[in-house]
Amino acid sequence: MNYHEQEHHRLAAAASSNGLDWFEESMSSFLAADVDLAAAGGGGAGGYAWWAASPAAQQDDIGSVVAQTLSPPSAPLAAASPSIASPAASSPSDVPSSSSKKRKSPAHRASGNSGGKKGGGGKGGGAAGSDRDMRWAEQLLNPCAVAVEAGNLSRVQHLFYVLGELESFSGDANHRLAAHGLRALARRLPAAVGPAAAAAVRVPPCECPTPAFAAAEPRLFRASLIRFHEVSPWFALPNALANAAIAQASTCGAAAAATPRPLHVVDLGVSHGVQWPTLLESLTRQPGGRAPPSVRLTVAGPGDTTPAPFSASPPGYDFSPHLLRYAKSINLDLRIGCAATLDDAVQGYCTAGDGEALVVCLQFRLGHAAVDERRDILRKVRGLNPELVVLSELDSCVGEGSAAGEFAARLELLWRFLESTSAAFKGKDVDERRLLETEAGAILATDVAGEGREGWRERMAAAGFEDASFGAEAVESAKSLLRKYDSGWEMSLAATGAVALRWKGQPVSFCSLWRPAA
Amino acid sequence: MEVTMEDVAGDFEFSGCGSTTTSSASSLDDGTGMYYAWGELSPVADCDWANFCCSDDGGHDLHGLIESMLCDDTLVGVPGDGHAGLHHADMFRDELYCYSNGSNPSSTTTTNPGSPVFDDTPQDCPEKGLRLLHLLMAAAEALSGPHKSRELARVILVRLKEMVSHTAGANNAAASNMERLAAHFTDALQGLLDGSHPVGGSGRQAAAAASHHHTGDVLTAFQMLQDMSPYMKFGHFTANQAILEAVSGDRRVHIVDYDIAEGIQWASLMQAMTSRPDGVPAPHLRITAVSRSGGGGARAVQEAGRRLSAFAASIGQPFSFGQCRLDSDERFRPATVRMVKGETLIANCVLHQAAATTTIRRPTGSVASFLSGMAALGANVVTVVEEEGEAEKDDNGDSAGDAAAAAGGFVRRFMEELHRYSAVWDSLEAGFPTQSRVRGLVERVILAPNIAGAVSRAYRGVDGEGRCGWGEWMRGSGFTTVPLSCFNHSQARLLLGLFNDGYTVEETGPNKIVLGWKARRLMSASVWAPPPLPVPSSPPEGVCQPDVGMAPVATGGFARTEFDYIDSFLVEPAYALV
Repeated sequence: MNYHEQEHHRLAAAASSNGLDWFEESMSSFLAADVDLAAAGGGGAGGYAWWAASPAAQQDDIGSVVAQTLSPPSAPLAAASPSIASPAASSPSDVPSSSSKKRKSPAHRASGNSGGKKGGGGKGGGAAGSDRDMRWAEQLLNPCAVAVEAGNLSRVQHLFYVLGELESFSGDANHRLAAHGLRALARRLPAAVGPAAAAAVRVPPCECPTPAFAAAEPRLFRASLIRFHEVSPWFALPNALANAAIAQASTCGAAAAATPRPLHVVDLGVSHGVQWPTLLESLTRQPGGRAPPSVRLTVAGPGDTTPAPFSASPPGYDFSPHLLRYAKSINLDLRIGCAATLDDAVQGYCTAGDGEALVVCLQFRLGHAAVDERRDILRKVRGLNPELVVLSELDSCVGEGSAAGEFAARLELLWRFLESTSAAFKGKDVDERRLLETEAGAILATDVAGEGREGWRERMAAAGFEDASFGAEAVESAKSLLRKYDSGWEMSLAATGAVALRWKGQPVSFCSLWRPAA
Repeated sequence: MEVTMEDVAGDFEFSGCGSTTTSSASSLDDGTGMYYAWGELSPVADCDWANFCCSDDGGHDLHGLIESMLCDDTLVGVPGDGHAGLHHADMFRDELYCYSNGSNPSSTTTTNPGSPVFDDTPQDCPEKGLRLLHLLMAAAEALSGPHKSRELARVILVRLKEMVSHTAGANNAAASNMERLAAHFTDALQGLLDGSHPVGGSGRQAAAAASHHHTGDVLTAFQMLQDMSPYMKFGHFTANQAILEAVSGDRRVHIVDYDIAEGIQWASLMQAMTSRPDGVPAPHLRITAVSRSGGGGARAVQEAGRRLSAFAASIGQPFSFGQCRLDSDERFRPATVRMVKGETLIANCVLHQAAATTTIRRPTGSVASFLSGMAALGANVVTVVEEEGEAEKDDNGDSAGDAAAAAGGFVRRFMEELHRYSAVWDSLEAGFPTQSRVRGLVERVILAPNIAGAVSRAYRGVDGEGRCGWGEWMRGSGFTTVPLSCFNHSQARLLLGLFNDGYTVEETGPNKIVLGWKARRLMSASVWAPPPLPVPSSPPEGVCQPDVGMAPVATGGFARTEFDYIDSFLVEPAYALV
């Protein structure tokens, strides 16, 4: 029997300072503790001897399994490894919360005695509060993110176990959020605690069965994008607002000019062509037949190492022929150029043709670039001296500054995405939805700080732009467009002229217009 | 309400007993043969068992059931060696394969750190056990603390139920020990979640759970637990021995029992009283059972009284029985106890013991009122049997204890209970590894309601009892310790010797012994003397119900089965008469 050998091994592990395997360590420390107790108790002759000598009983001793789970988190950590966060470092996240638990328990008991229903009613009073109560996935993911950043491995392991049981890429929004969140945290773990410590944490399988966005079959990719535009305003509304503004710019830019000017649109966005047919169509319907004589579209590819979510497309996907064919059918002179990256697109077109109305569309891409890169690109865009800049970005709340706070803010955003796609697809778990959600889940993995609307405003101003407003018509048509979608969606016009899109009262994105400052 | 012997004779339905055991027979249809096996294993009761097994016609009671099952001997393989551990491969056939990769799950990590396996396949039982534990702990956490989330708790419980769902249907041998334990704790947490008021909620749940079971099932389960483990006898024997020593030479003994349950404890005391080797006649024994006001408590107490009266009559023990009720707020009022001059007064207080009829737990204040009330009445000795917490282990500056204490009130107490019951589970399994169906019945009928109660107590924050026990309170209230006799100690060791090796008995004080499973303390028995009375007050008389009439000769309507029932619980302890 090798039970004994195992036993020896465990005890040896307890004695050695093998710091990599915290799990082993916690088990051993429990066993060691037991040995001490048995010896100290002196209850029976050879208190430990019988323990070790009954391997079969030990084998299914659920008591020891329970005890192992019970073992306090700091103990194994302390012994585990000095390279990961010391208990002292990890405890601030842990201890204050538990002690506040203790402090609060009498209050809780008091409210329980006065009638549990009353407490429930109080919660129900605030719709937002009760909504938050229903969002259980974040109640696991946020503490887990805190534990990951603090290097509290036993807490991480505990929450990974729980999340692993509750995650599902096809369940309701909470289950899906748990799945995406667990995946993101599991990927984050090695960087946060070091690869060796991370290897000791067992991660439940959380790979999404759906292929990544850019690895999808091109036809499914295209169908998903189109479907998503039909059922959700997430991208559709900013696109529509941008199109309305561009169409207006092409005519009104040089109000005095009697003849329409050629239009050049630089597309630094994520629409993969889906946005443009409606623009082209609306250009041909300009009042007085003043369609631009030619339209140039320059599309920036996903770029380098970590493309922003939704910016990459499958290798076989090319919307150009479709769009060109469509332009021809409506007698519009369209040319399409492609640039590999955001940067290339800007640089390559520094030579804006004279008399060309240049519009730069920055949609949901810039927010994922590093802060330096944002500044750099905006400076270059400014250098092009465009007629108009459209900026649409996620309106993510700025986190608390900590990595965990940032993660929490992104979770909230992803929650809005998942909940709204549930509504959009009427709760159906279809390939299209999965494809989009998998890509949206990448929001959690980005490690650049999100920025709110105000942050972007300052950034644009610093780059030499000033606010411009959407025309009343554009806003009205956007409003009527929004009515097609789920009633959870709403939009509002900010004083600065930007349009904010909200899901159930919570900010999702904004769309804003900018002109070079004089 | 008056309880008289006439009432008793008129009311009591023996047919009920017969029919319910029949129903339990059907529910255990293929857990065959084990009764007989236990008869064999049953530590000191062989003669009782043998008598009844042979003499009974088998129509009305458990023994008939046994005989009907004797034809199937597949499960009777265990008699002969009462000690688990000789046939590991055989005994653990249910679960050995699950655990063969090591109960230490980290072995997976060690050998294979890159590819942990989360499967629902049975090969991953230890892994599944861990997953269940983590979910249980998370559910408890979700129900408590500053971020209390009922929704999260609900979702976790739904998942837990999925994971243990196949265990729900009665006794499924395929369900691992851990799964069954998890299933009961899941139910207990669900009770907390469902109950709008934590106390009432779980109380209702426990009551509902208890009412699901036929009386026959309950009795059967009790019988099984008695035979499978020392959990009940440990407290009874130790308390009884202390009582016998305290009343030695007295002519009249009056015991006020805080929680009489089925009354089994007193049957064994009577046997000891009537069978003194020195031929001294048994003293008159009067028992006053404390009952709850309202509910079915009084009725159950009454039935226990009837059984005891009948049993006393059968062995010639002079006996009378009465009851007194707690106030509506569960307080004990000494005035409700009828006192008779010249009686030696004893208080017996068995708390939280597996007792199917007392699934609704009494609040802490109730126990305190009983203990101080009995002191006021001038009790000579107070015997206390209670669950034992782990607190004392942490006294020696153990940092682990501090960390556990800091881990949050309810979660810590919840895990403490989980730990406690996992030890109980292990002990039952170690003793009777192949009889998982039988264990299933004991678990469902007896342990599940206890778990519901324990979790509910943990949730309400009733901590003192579990952690420190009543000892501290009693010392603070002037009670003094009554040292356990040498014989009492050896009796306890003798008792444990009849069961699996894993049981331990520990002496934590001169007046207290603790029963444990492996390193885990489970319950204790202690003996106390109340503080001397300040003013000799004449106890009020005639306040309570009159005693059940003692009818030593005319057993009239009592059929033999009545006594069989009690006898079946009797394991004659080797009480020493000092």
